[in-house]
Amino acid sequence: MKKIVAISLVFLLPFSISALSGKKYGKDITLKTKTAISAILEKPADYIGKKVLVEGLVVGVCENRGCWMQLAGDKPYTKIKIKVKDGEIVFPMTEKGKKALVEGEVYQITWTKEERIEQLKAEAKEHGSQPDLSNVKDTSWVQIRGIGAVIQ
Amino acid sequence: MTGLFSSWRKWNRLVHRDLGYIAFGLTVIYAVSGVAVNHIADWNPNFDIETIDSVIPPAKLDPAATDSVLAAVILKETGEIEPLMSTFRPSPDEFQVFVEGNTLSVDLSTGETSQKKVKERWFLHAFNFLHLNHAKEMWTWVADIYAIALVLLAITGLFMIKGPKGILGRGLWLTGLGILLPLVFLWLYYF
Repeated sequence: MKKIVAISLVFLLPFSISALSGKKYGKDITLKTKTAISAILEKPADYIGKKVLVEGLVVGVCENRGCWMQLAGDKPYTKIKIKVKDGEIVFPMTEKGKKALVEGEVYQITWTKEERIEQLKAEAKEHGSQPDLSNVKDTSWVQIRGIGAVIQ
Repeated sequence: MTGLFSSWRKWNRLVHRDLGYIAFGLTVIYAVSGVAVNHIADWNPNFDIETIDSVIPPAKLDPAATDSVLAAVILKETGEIEPLMSTFRPSPDEFQVFVEGNTLSVDLSTGETSQKKVKERWFLHAFNFLHLNHAKEMWTWVADIYAIALVLLAITGLFMIKGPKGILGRGLWLTGLGILLPLVFLWLYYF
């Protein structure tokens, strides 16, 4: 009887560990060291093209396709977008408010003011809201191309 | 020769019949999900999203309060009974409260509150999960085999009936019409 219990435990252990670590999306996370989101936002040039592991609260998810999510930064009023290839990874809306660990590559987006306005309009349409176009000046920002994630 | 022909017919019918039975469940899933995701621009095929707008008296919202105190006030004022999961401040005037299935966004200066309640569409979410191959892994193989089965069903379907209603009669015209339809739309929208 004890043998059966012991063998069962050996087989069940990996599943319980995986259950504890959260729901997995995409590829396995390989990096061990986390990078603070604030560090990426403050000095993007140091991270562009590099693979990073970031942790943060999921504060936004693409409503239609689940093709991106936003993670809150470790400093007040900051967040970073995690973009994934459509269909390759799908983040459900129900993951909002949970903590996520994401591995991906940092990259820069550069848009003209007009392109940014178009994007804000499209986002507002998706959310059924009015876009705030009063102070559009950000034409360059960093995102993370998500490769794998675990959401707890 | 007649024996061989009738034997071939027999096998064709048998394959068509049994594949049809096996493919029934998957075909319903793919068809229902296909219609659902086809209209993704008009609705969310995976989630039922309800937005509720209200106003909390700004006097009750102290931006200097701790996040948990502020969240407790907002949950009480909106009547949300789900336990608090987490909070986020997108800006000094904005505050977000997350509970299971609901995100409450509050403008701390005006008290304007927007709740976004999200529920999975219980069967559609699962159908779309399979149809769009979010499962990956082994399901990719099942979907590939199903696609091959559909091709076999289509081919064997052509030879189910003999005579004037078969592929050498009415069937030929209808099959041609079915091939022509996508070609017309390719001509209209693609080329």
